[in-house]
Amino acid sequence: MTEEHDTPPTPVLERIPVHGDCPRCGAEELRRYPVVSEGGWFEVVKCQQCLLSLDRSPWSRLGPIQLLTDLL
Amino acid sequence: MTTLETTPSTTGSEQTRLRDISDAEFTGAYGCDRFTAAVILNRLRYAVEHMSTGFMREAFSPIIRDWYDFACTISGPPRHNYPMAVVSNSLVVFLGTLGDAVRNTVEEFGPENLSPGDVLICNDPYRGGTHVNDVCFIRPVFVDGEIVSFVNMRAHQLDMGGTVPGGFSATKSNVYENGLVIPPMLLWSRDEPVRSTFSLIFDNTRWGGMLLPDFKSIYQQLALGERLVLENIERYGLDAYLGTLTYACDTSAERMRDAIALVPDGEYTGSALIDADGLDDSIDYTVQVTLRKQGQDIEVDLSGTSAQARTCINCGVLDAKTAVGVALTMLLDPEVPFTSGTWRNIDLATPPGTLVSSLPPDGGIMMFWEASGAVVSAVFDALNPALGEKGVAGDYGSTNTHNASGVTADGTPWTSATQCGGEHGPWGATKEGDGDSYTVLFFLNNLDPATETIEHDSPVVMLRKEHAIDTGGPGTFRGGAANLKDTLWLSEGNHYLSPFRTKVPSGVGANGGEPGPNGAIWIFPPRDGADDRPAMLGTTPDVYATSTPVAGVLDPVTKALDPVDGEYHYFASRQVWQTKTGSILRCLTNGGGGWGDPFARDPERVLADVRNEYVSVAGAARDYGVVVIGDPRSDPEGLRIDVQATAALRNQPS
Repeated sequence: MTEEHDTPPTPVLERIPVHGDCPRCGAEELRRYPVVSEGGWFEVVKCQQCLLSLDRSPWSRLGPIQLLTDLL
Repeated sequence: MTTLETTPSTTGSEQTRLRDISDAEFTGAYGCDRFTAAVILNRLRYAVEHMSTGFMREAFSPIIRDWYDFACTISGPPRHNYPMAVVSNSLVVFLGTLGDAVRNTVEEFGPENLSPGDVLICNDPYRGGTHVNDVCFIRPVFVDGEIVSFVNMRAHQLDMGGTVPGGFSATKSNVYENGLVIPPMLLWSRDEPVRSTFSLIFDNTRWGGMLLPDFKSIYQQLALGERLVLENIERYGLDAYLGTLTYACDTSAERMRDAIALVPDGEYTGSALIDADGLDDSIDYTVQVTLRKQGQDIEVDLSGTSAQARTCINCGVLDAKTAVGVALTMLLDPEVPFTSGTWRNIDLATPPGTLVSSLPPDGGIMMFWEASGAVVSAVFDALNPALGEKGVAGDYGSTNTHNASGVTADGTPWTSATQCGGEHGPWGATKEGDGDSYTVLFFLNNLDPATETIEHDSPVVMLRKEHAIDTGGPGTFRGGAANLKDTLWLSEGNHYLSPFRTKVPSGVGANGGEPGPNGAIWIFPPRDGADDRPAMLGTTPDVYATSTPVAGVLDPVTKALDPVDGEYHYFASRQVWQTKTGSILRCLTNGGGGWGDPFARDPERVLADVRNEYVSVAGAARDYGVVVIGDPRSDPEGLRIDVQATAALRNQPS
């Protein structure tokens, strides 16, 4: 052991609750969060029980990374 | 042009299977009949292999020539969202990220700013995955003034600047130390080289003289790819060409969807450990995976994974995505063609700023495959218990990369990158048979540099490159054997060594098999006053006492492997391992995991393993319950099984 350090906390993905029921399974567990899949990044509204995507909108091209040059 | 597929679970109904649609529906969806689509797809696969062959024939850089550290793909146009439909038979980590890399690079540059004859480049890991040494070369294909496709190549450049020659080191702290970051830029414009871009690269990298001819060759391969694509369009028509790209991705999506459906619905968790980063050994790094599977869909959540490392052992989210695609392909259906469609029913949800989704500028990315390889391991760890006999045992986990440089006595500078560490090693076993013993990590797919070229290019003698005995994880099918490599250095050198997974076995077992043991790295300094070349080192535990341990869990006195009571040696306790002329470097990789109950292994196969020195006589009894009589060295043909003693041993209550 060369030096003691505090282990940094593990980052957490925020899943924002969305009001409503899942039209497929009826669960009241809809959440909004970003995912990466075929076609790049999407912000989804998804049932946490049956994984039905109620909405999949293209998100930021590089996900959470913002380029300063995008402000040009 | 359209597709018969839908995005994941946007409908609850069953999708129409490709084989079940009528010929008319097929032609309506894909612009040609089934036969024509198959012909075009095979011709495009030929195109990327033809590009690859040409580059291999012409490349000067050893990492291209000897490692096959490049890949070629064909992507569709912007209006189809850049589907990656065709990939070469080569480096998988490149293929997995190239689909997104092309989209991100072209979108940022602006497809409206491209012209026929352009070659666009980018090497930013956050925009395109992998690391800065891997430069993407992208050439648009135009028909009647419109972009209809892209032909692409990603190729490792031997140096991209930064603080470490060759770049392979865990010790760099941020993107500024890491190397030159190239945003989307033109390298050729209308078939004319852009001098300012070449200058930017060659003014900031070492060995530009080696890179320049390779760049010229890449340009020619892309021009070849463009010609072959245009020939197909001319012969079969644009609708058929574009439809075939869509069909290729739909095929992958359908096969992967079928494979996912075979996994029982549920939630599965797994993890993998990386020992430390390049700053100190006070923090180890865990990749935590939760797979939620319902019906035909999987969501892979990387929450719980350690925060990004303080030095450049991180990977970007596109590499994590590649790792998930590779792991699920290998576990569920290895025949799924690797295209953009592979991920259609897979969502990756990850918090930003983890070891496998790092952010600039502090989350530097160089040893990216080590972090994303841990994602593969964690997915295996999660799903293997659910898959039973379909489970796949783990591989050697880390390429233990060696990178060294120096100056010979006559003043000639030299560099050796990824040749003399533990870069190659074993795979785990499967239900089909024993694990292979000398290959590369599950998701790499490279060649192995020839000893003759290694010894020609650097002041080194390859003393030993062999399978180590008793290192394959025991099982009904045995894990591949660890690789033991000894190199003698004929000049002083500065060595960077990166073994990341020596604490916990990476070669996990499957279906009741045992894990493969962990390896280590040692340096043996020249003996004081010795003026002769060192003799060969033995392989018994007593040889290590005079060594300088670099990495591994070792006995404090003997310095031999001791995974139970040993102490951990930290690979970057010296950022640079400086060696004297005559030093020997020994790298022992981890072993591959075993599959199935070891005591169910056919005794004849154990006998063959003893004959071939994969397993010792003692190991045969201990690990497999097979008593072998004889000496494999002095009388290999006289070896035989003691049937009675074996039966007694195997029937002992456990």
